[in-house]
Formats: sequence, C-alpha cells, structure tokens
Amino acid sequence: MIWGVLQFPGSCDERDALHACSLLGEARLVWHETRDLSGIEAIVIPGGFSYGDYLRAGAIARFSPAMEAVAEFAAAGGPVLGICNGFQVLCEAKLLPGALLLNEDQRFLCRQVDLVADGPKSELTGDLSAHRPPEALSIPVKHGEGRYWAPDEVLDAIEAGGQVAYRYAPGQNPNGSARDIAGVSNEAGNVVGLMPHPEHAVDPLTGSTDGLRVFEAMGRVAA
Amino acid sequence: MVELEAESPERLSELCEKLLANPLIEDFEIQTL
Repeated sequence: MIWGVLQFPGSCDERDALHACSLLGEARLVWHETRDLSGIEAIVIPGGFSYGDYLRAGAIARFSPAMEAVAEFAAAGGPVLGICNGFQVLCEAKLLPGALLLNEDQRFLCRQVDLVADGPKSELTGDLSAHRPPEALSIPVKHGEGRYWAPDEVLDAIEAGGQVAYRYAPGQNPNGSARDIAGVSNEAGNVVGLMPHPEHAVDPLTGSTDGLRVFEAMGRVAA
Repeated sequence: MVELEAESPERLSELCEKLLANPLIEDFEIQTL
C-alpha cells in the first residue's frame, strides 16, 4: 500500500506521519506545490502550522495545488486522514463539516487523552468503532485551536448521520469541543479528521501504540 | 482587522467569503478608506 503524506511550509508532523505510514507500507512525502498523486492509495494531511497559520489555521493551505488534488482524490472515494492542522485544513476546504476554534481556556495544551472510535458511518475507523462497549485508544493531543464547533443543526445532522468518527472519552474533553467530538468524517465516510495525533503513538517508547490502529483501520479500507 | 490595498474593490466581499473570513465562525465588515 502506498501512502502520501502532505507537507506544507510550516508542517511539523509529517516525519512522524511518514514513519507511521512506513510501518504499514510505502510512504511518500507530497510537497504542497504538486498536483501529482499518481500511485498513492491513501492520503494523510499532518499536523503543524501550514503557511504559518496566517489568517486562520488551514485557511491558506486549502488553496494549495496539493489540496486541489486531494479534493479530487477524495471526490473519487480515496481515503483521506487529516490530523490536527490537517483536520483544520479539511474543514477550511469544506471537505469536512464544522470548524476548530481556540481551546476553551485559550491555552495551548499537550497531554495524553483517551479516544473512542464512534463512527459507524466512516469506513476509516474500521473495526475500531465495532467494539461494544467502545474501546479507548490512548493518543496525545497538542494544539491551541482544537475546539470542534458547528451550529447545533449541523451537530445534530452529523450525529444522526454517523459522522462523528471519534469522541474524547467521558470526562477527558481537553478543549471544550462540542459534544466531546474529537474527529468527524464526511458524508461518504472516506474523509476523516481528528485533533489527537495517532502518528505520535505508534512506538512503545512514547507510551502507546494505539495510534497505529488508526492507520491500520485506514489501510484496511484502502487496500 | 486586515488592511489591504485592493485592485478590484468590488470583489472584496467575495475575497472575504472565500479567504479572509470563515463565514461559519466569523462575520466581516468592509470599510473603504
């Protein structure tokens, strides 16, 4: 399986994402100026501060040639995973509903949280969401603008449509996200964004390998 | 606040909606100086 990991000026998590993907197949770095995704079977948009987060996080990255190609890739059913800034980019690009606001306490946070796959609609959560009761994944968060928000009618619609891909475990919502939402999918279920960083949890050295399961679920869908 | 010199002031609203503001979470107002 061939993974493509986008890199914008200001990205900072592409190396960890490449490493995570390389544990499951071939991983290629995709520079923001290219439109060529030929051969790539799954896309990861990593975290960081694309284009310096000017205007708003993800606001400029959405206009990059690579993101134009990602939009076409997603429209054709290709699996896309946006992590942290990648999630923000996907929301700005309107490939995912909602927006990410400043954390409720207005501070950057960095901590380990438990995450529950909750998305029957998204194929990208794979069998992670099949466990009953839901199985918690221990994955770190690190962000200043991670508070998921959407109008109530949109929240109702994405919950009814099974588009909530991940929620923070009860009592562990770190940023004030609406309805404990940590990640959402598009209507088709092939595009998922989440604020926690599964690419930072793929090695026992860092305390958890649960993040690898997020990539494995995506890989099973793309294969 | 964003200050800029606009070659096509008639397109400022479009520019705000597509880039400068996220209408989902932000309002905008245009002042010509």
